[in-house]
Amino acid sequence: MEKSLVSDGALVSLYQNGNEKAFELLVKRHKSKVYTAIYLIVKDSYIAEDLLQDTFIKAITTIKTNRYNEEGKFLPWIVRIAHNLAIDYFRKEKRYPTVILEDGSNVFNTLNFSEDSVESVQIKMETHEKLKEMIQKLPEQQKEVLLMRHYADMSFQEIAEATGVSINTALGRMRYALINLRKQMTKYNINYDQNIYPK
Amino acid sequence: MIKTFTPNDVIRYVYKETSAEENKLIAYTLLTDTDLRTFYEEILGIKQEISKIMREPSDKVLGQILTYSREFQTNRP
Repeated sequence: MEKSLVSDGALVSLYQNGNEKAFELLVKRHKSKVYTAIYLIVKDSYIAEDLLQDTFIKAITTIKTNRYNEEGKFLPWIVRIAHNLAIDYFRKEKRYPTVILEDGSNVFNTLNFSEDSVESVQIKMETHEKLKEMIQKLPEQQKEVLLMRHYADMSFQEIAEATGVSINTALGRMRYALINLRKQMTKYNINYDQNIYPK
Repeated sequence: MIKTFTPNDVIRYVYKETSAEENKLIAYTLLTDTDLRTFYEEILGIKQEISKIMREPSDKVLGQILTYSREFQTNRP
């Protein structure tokens, strides 16, 4: 219980002073979010693990050489590193989508994002697996905002600043991402809990 | 003056980025604007589904990361 009260910033400081346990805690705390953010881009667990390792190696090097200055914003910082590495991977593999519309709705259904791996062929067609596939197929700008909001815990204002757009553009991209996902869920007849109207 | 809320405002509301004052006004608007309420319910449902998506990396890769960190420290001049 107490452990969760130690902030990321405090853990980074401890780590900078040689406390490896502090780093272990940071890894444990954020591994799932960072890994999921990568996986949703590359859609291959082996590549995602390689990139997760590269992400943390970059973080380790930056922190241990005293070049880290995010002041408590460890998760957004490391998810940004992860995101950039995943996008670089696609660029190197020449599988990065070239047609990205602001609206995204036309691209969504036709985007040939990457070859399906053996793994993705075997993916079970249950709700979450299907939803993961849908997120993976979102236009890059929409996916970027969605990943930053959900896995980096960044506010829309922070996302806007990080991506060099206005907050309305960031919100608009999120809106199209969610609308696209809703459309696809309806198309595949995937139901979610609709009894969620607030008390 | 009556403030009109947009779908972008609803998204900020769903992600808890609206002020206390906005919360009251949006909650009231959702009671009266059925289109906006439908949008809100759908977006909230999708947000909750996305929040459930989480994958775990293997212990092996985590071990490699921690080993790299320890060795980086050891090898420092």
